Amino acid sequence: MKNPFVMDCGEFHVNYKQDMRIWKIARVRWRVFLLIAVFALLPLISSDYLIGLATLCGIAAIGAIGLNILTGFTGQISIGVGAFLGVGGYTSAILTAKLGLSFWLAMPMAGIITAIVGGLFGLPSLRLKGLYLAIATLAAQVIILFIISRWDAVTGGTAGLVLSRPEIGNFAFYSERSYYYLMFTILVLTTIFTLNLFRSRVGRAFIAVRDRDIAAEVMGIDLFKYKVLAFVVSSFFIGIAGALLGHYTMIVSPEMYSITVSIEYLAIILVGGLGSVFGSIYGAVFITLLPVVLRAGVELLSGVFPELSAVLIGLKEVAFGLVIILFLIYEPQGLAKIWKNIKDYFKLWPFSY
Amino acid sequence: MGILEVKNLTLRFGGVVALDDVSYEVKEGEIFSLIGPNGAGKTSMLNCISGLYRPNEGSIQFKDSPITNLKPYKRASLGIARAFQNIELFPHLSVLDNLMLGRHVRMKTGVLAGGVFFGKAQREEIEHREKVEQVIDFLEIEHIRNTPVGTLSYGLQKRVEVGRALSLEPDLLLLDEPMAGMNTEEKEDMARYIIDIHEEMQTTIVLIEHDMGVVMDLSDHIAVLDFGKLIGYGTPNEIQNNQKVIEAYLGEENTV
Repeated sequence: MKNPFVMDCGEFHVNYKQDMRIWKIARVRWRVFLLIAVFALLPLISSDYLIGLATLCGIAAIGAIGLNILTGFTGQISIGVGAFLGVGGYTSAILTAKLGLSFWLAMPMAGIITAIVGGLFGLPSLRLKGLYLAIATLAAQVIILFIISRWDAVTGGTAGLVLSRPEIGNFAFYSERSYYYLMFTILVLTTIFTLNLFRSRVGRAFIAVRDRDIAAEVMGIDLFKYKVLAFVVSSFFIGIAGALLGHYTMIVSPEMYSITVSIEYLAIILVGGLGSVFGSIYGAVFITLLPVVLRAGVELLSGVFPELSAVLIGLKEVAFGLVIILFLIYEPQGLAKIWKNIKDYFKLWPFSY
Repeated sequence: MGILEVKNLTLRFGGVVALDDVSYEVKEGEIFSLIGPNGAGKTSMLNCISGLYRPNEGSIQFKDSPITNLKPYKRASLGIARAFQNIELFPHLSVLDNLMLGRHVRMKTGVLAGGVFFGKAQREEIEHREKVEQVIDFLEIEHIRNTPVGTLSYGLQKRVEVGRALSLEPDLLLLDEPMAGMNTEEKEDMARYIIDIHEEMQTTIVLIEHDMGVVMDLSDHIAVLDFGKLIGYGTPNEIQNNQKVIEAYLGEENTV
């Protein structure tokens, strides 16, 4: 029998199918299955508060994967994520609350509508690159938010709309736990879809456009089509995240989709790792939990130094900015790279000369 | 019959005339070299053929249909591939993915099939992977198959660049100084690969190269550019004895 403590040396694939796997080594595959199982079973033993936090992390992760497809993989900065989340949330809200459609139809529709809107705002991307494109997407943010807050008849104006939780037959996803499972399923599907996308033709074309657009075009990639396509695919997932978030908070209102949200999502993919699917998830967890942890820290300290708490609460924003700056300086490739470094270190441990 | 016909091509950048009324044809299955002193317009010529520049006047025909106003990506799907002078590989993709990207126009998978992967996309990936592996085998880059291109040495990157163009299974292969910056041994290897590509795949090759030894040995026909003008066309033998060409390279005798 094989010694379970000894690692295999080398990968021996005998056909292309094996070589194309996302996780090429059986041991790693089992680790992934185990991790999915752990996250699937976790809500059974944790409190509603923790499950709620996890749900928010997961929804942010779905949106972040969407943004990473556009910014990390295709190299097009977008500051319009907040508004695109809004399009998803409002579409689902209008379809379910006003038109009486079921959530299961409204959520994919929210994705599709957001994809169309995203594609429209992606049209300038052929002519604009880098900062210029960022400003163009900022226009998307402002225009969409303006429409949402002024078109009272449809969107309810600044008061927003009230949503209900989704239902299957008689079962409604009212408990934290059930909504977690809904989010978890969609997150797993999103992750698998994106990982697959980037090991096939379209994903490669996205990366090629990011790395060298001129060479990509000479090799037969229609730049315009793929740049807009990146906006479409990315916005689809952001729209889905928006719908999920809307049905989770059960209300959508303009201030939920401000530019701060856009910046937060950019921070997620920066901290997590540009061009990394798992990085998006790490980043989403990190940025979502950071304020929570900071608040807990402040509360803890204010017990000891009551007069300091007022100052410390103000420092929360500072700490948030500081984290992003530190990541940009010390590990621009984010948490995904840090995790890889740790794994690489232990590959040769304890003889890592 | 010419696979590529260039007629009266003129390209201007403001007042600068980069190409001036250039006409020639490349015959099917030959190695055709473009030579000339620095700044003669050789790379501009290739940019016109691959579509990065639009000529002000004149026309380009590929396989008897005009391509003068086609977008670069459409020309790729017609079977024109190119290796750049300054390496233009995708540095974060592995060698394998760079070559697979070369097959982009030969593949069909869209977003949905790609995201689902199993089934259509996987079948297509495997089918085209076999073609790419033949190119890898051909250029002897098996050992770096999974290495990100950005980390490779210059010589290897040049070879991968040729490989990427070759993966497209082009009818016309444009090579812009594939041997620039190489030592003698690497040059010999590259020359051997070019001959092999020509003989085994019957690919028509347009080559820009400064090493006259290589050009004279490999080419079937040579065109010489100087200040955007075509000053000579013919077999290597004819070019070597062409008075105008000698003047362009060495300067006129009476000025020395």
